[in-house]
Amino acid sequence: MTTPLMIEARGVEKWYPNGFQALRGADLSVHQGEVVVIMGPSGSGKSTFIRTFNGLEDFQKGSIVVDGITLSDDVRQIDAIRREVGMVFQQFNLFPHLTVLENVALAPVLVRRRPKAEVQQQALELLDRVGIQHQAHKYPGQLSGGQQQRVAIARSLCMEPRIMLFDEPTSALDPEMVQEVLAVMQELARDGMTMVVVSHEVRFARQVASRVALMADGQVVEVAPPEQFFTAPGHERSRQFLSQIG
Amino acid sequence: MSASPNLSHPQRTASPPRLHRLRRELFASPLDGLITIALVASLAAAATGFLHWATTQARWAVIQANSNLFAIGRYPIEQQWRLWLLVTLLAAATGLSWGLLRAWPRADRRGSAWPPNDTIAVALLAAISLYLPLALQAQAGIQMRWWAITALLLLVRAAAGRWGPLVPRQLRPLLALLWPVLYLIGMVLISGGLGLMPVPPAEWGGLLLTLVEASFAILLCFPLGVLLALGRRSALPLLRWGSVVYIEFIRGAPLITLLFLGQNILGFLLPGGLAPDRVWRAAWVLTFFAAAYVAEAVRSGLAALPPGQLEAARSLGLNLPQSLMHVVLPQALRVALPATVGQFITLLQDTTLLSLIGLLDLLGVARTVMANPAFLGRNAEVYLVLAILFWCCCAALGLGSRALEHRLNPNTVALNTSAHKA
Repeated sequence: MTTPLMIEARGVEKWYPNGFQALRGADLSVHQGEVVVIMGPSGSGKSTFIRTFNGLEDFQKGSIVVDGITLSDDVRQIDAIRREVGMVFQQFNLFPHLTVLENVALAPVLVRRRPKAEVQQQALELLDRVGIQHQAHKYPGQLSGGQQQRVAIARSLCMEPRIMLFDEPTSALDPEMVQEVLAVMQELARDGMTMVVVSHEVRFARQVASRVALMADGQVVEVAPPEQFFTAPGHERSRQFLSQIG
Repeated sequence: MSASPNLSHPQRTASPPRLHRLRRELFASPLDGLITIALVASLAAAATGFLHWATTQARWAVIQANSNLFAIGRYPIEQQWRLWLLVTLLAAATGLSWGLLRAWPRADRRGSAWPPNDTIAVALLAAISLYLPLALQAQAGIQMRWWAITALLLLVRAAAGRWGPLVPRQLRPLLALLWPVLYLIGMVLISGGLGLMPVPPAEWGGLLLTLVEASFAILLCFPLGVLLALGRRSALPLLRWGSVVYIEFIRGAPLITLLFLGQNILGFLLPGGLAPDRVWRAAWVLTFFAAAYVAEAVRSGLAALPPGQLEAARSLGLNLPQSLMHVVLPQALRVALPATVGQFITLLQDTTLLSLIGLLDLLGVARTVMANPAFLGRNAEVYLVLAILFWCCCAALGLGSRALEHRLNPNTVALNTSAHKA
C-alpha cells in the first residue's frame, strides 16, 4: 500500500466489567481511501472493535492509532479523534427533538464554531446528496428508517470527517430500505472516503470493499480482498462463516 | 411515504345522539343504573347541604374583615402601593405572554395553540374578577383597582394577539427573559432596597409570603435538582456518592424536621447574607428539600433516554457539557416535566408547614385569625377559602406545565403521521 495508514489497531484486548473478554488481540490496518468491511458471526466482537476506534469503548491492552493520533485515556485526544471520525449507528441515533436540518448542522456549529448560515447551507447540500432535501424541516420521527439513516450519514459528513465508521448501518432497516442506504455509502466510497463498515451485506462487500476482514472470538482471523475472501477463504472460520450465511 | 397531514379525517361512524350515548354509558344494566342513581343522589345531597351551609349558616365576615391579612399579612400600609404596582406588572406580563404565545404558533407543529380555545378562560377570569371584590366587600377604590388590573390583563392579551405576529422571529425568544426580570423587580418591590424603604421579611405574610417562599424554592430547586441528577450518574465516584447520599438523606427525613433543623443550623452552613432570618432560612430548606425530589424526577427522564443519544453526540465531537446541554437535557427534562411540576405543586402545599415554625404564611395567618375571639368557630369558612386558594395556585401550575409539555413535544406531528400510516 502506498497511501498513508489511517487506522492501525494492534493486539487490542478488551474485558467488560463483568469479566467477559470481548476482544482477544484484534489487529487491523486501514489505509487512506480504503473501504474495509468487517464480517463475522454475532458475538465475535465486530461492533465492540469498531467502537474502540473513536473511543466509545475503552480497551485494556494493545494500541490504536487513528489519523496519527494515539488513543489513550486523554479526553482531549479522544475528542480530537472524534472530530475527524464520523460514526453511523445501527439505530441511527438521530436527535428526535431537533429537525433534520438541525441534526445535521448542530455539531459543526458547536464543535468547529463555524457560522450557522454557512453550515446550514452545507447541510442542505449534503441532504440533497443523500436524497432528503425536501424533509429538512421535519423531525426524525416523521421519516422512514432508510431516510433516517441517510440523514445520520449526512450528519456525520457535515463534520467533514477523514474516516467514516459504520456499525451495522442496515441491520435495523426494513429490507426495501437497505438499498437506498447502501447506495449512499457506495457513492461515498467512490468519492474516496476511508470507511470501516461492520455489515452482513455480502453484495455490498463484494462490490465496494477494498478488503474484507473476518472476526471470530474477538480476533481478526482473516483479511483479504473480497474476490479472494468470498471464493477462496484462507481460514477455517471464514469458510464456516460463509457456509452459514449461504 | 404518505406524509400528507390528516386534517380532514372523515368521521368513521355517525356518533349516536347524545341522549342515547348517555343512556348507554350510565344505564347499560340494572346494576349500572342503580349505581348511577345512588351516586347522583349522594352528590346532590352533598351539594345541597354545602349550599345550604354556605348561604345560611356560614359567616363570611371572617374572610371579608381579614382579606388584607390573608393577602399580605402585616405588610406596612404606607408601602402597599409597591404590591399594587407588582400585581399590575404581573397582570400585564401575563396578558402579554398569553397573547404572544397564542399569536406565535410554532410553524413546524400542528395544533400548536394550547389550549385550542381559551375563550372560557377569559370569561371565567372576567367573571371572577368582577365578582370577587364585591363578595369581599372591599372598599370602592380597591374594587376599581382590581377591575382595572383585570381589564389591563385582557387588553394587553388582545393587543399582543393582534400585533404579536408582526414581531420579527429573531426577537421572539426574548419573551422568555420577561419573567426572570419581572421576578427580580418583584423581589425588590417586596423587600425594598434600591432607594425603596426596606420591608423586613418578618412583616411579610399570607398569600404574599407563601408565594415568595414557593417561587424562590421552585426557581432554585430546579437547577439544583438537575445538577444532583447529573451528579448521581457521573463517572466521578466522589460526585456520584455525594449526590446519592444527599438525595437519600433528604428524602429520608420529614420536611418539618428539616425546617426546624434549618432554623438552627443554616445560619452556620450558609454565608451570613444568604440566610439572615427565619423566612430566608425556611426558603433555603424548602429549596434543598425539593431539589432532592426534582433530582429523582430528572433521573427518571435521564434513564428514559436511549444511550445511543449520548454516544451519537459524543461521536460528533461534542464534549460532555455540549452533549448534555443540546442533546441529553432537552429530551430528559421534557420527559421529567410532569413529575417535576408535580414536585412543584407538592412544594407549594408544603409551605403550609412554615406556620408550624412560626411564620405567618397563609395557614399561619389563618391560625391567628381563628384565634381571634371575634371570629371564634369560623374555622370551616377559613379552611375552605384556604383550600380554594391553594387549589387555584396548583391548578395554574398544572395548566402551565401542560401547555409547556405540548409546546416542547416534537411528536405532536410525528405521532399523528405514524398513526395515519398504520
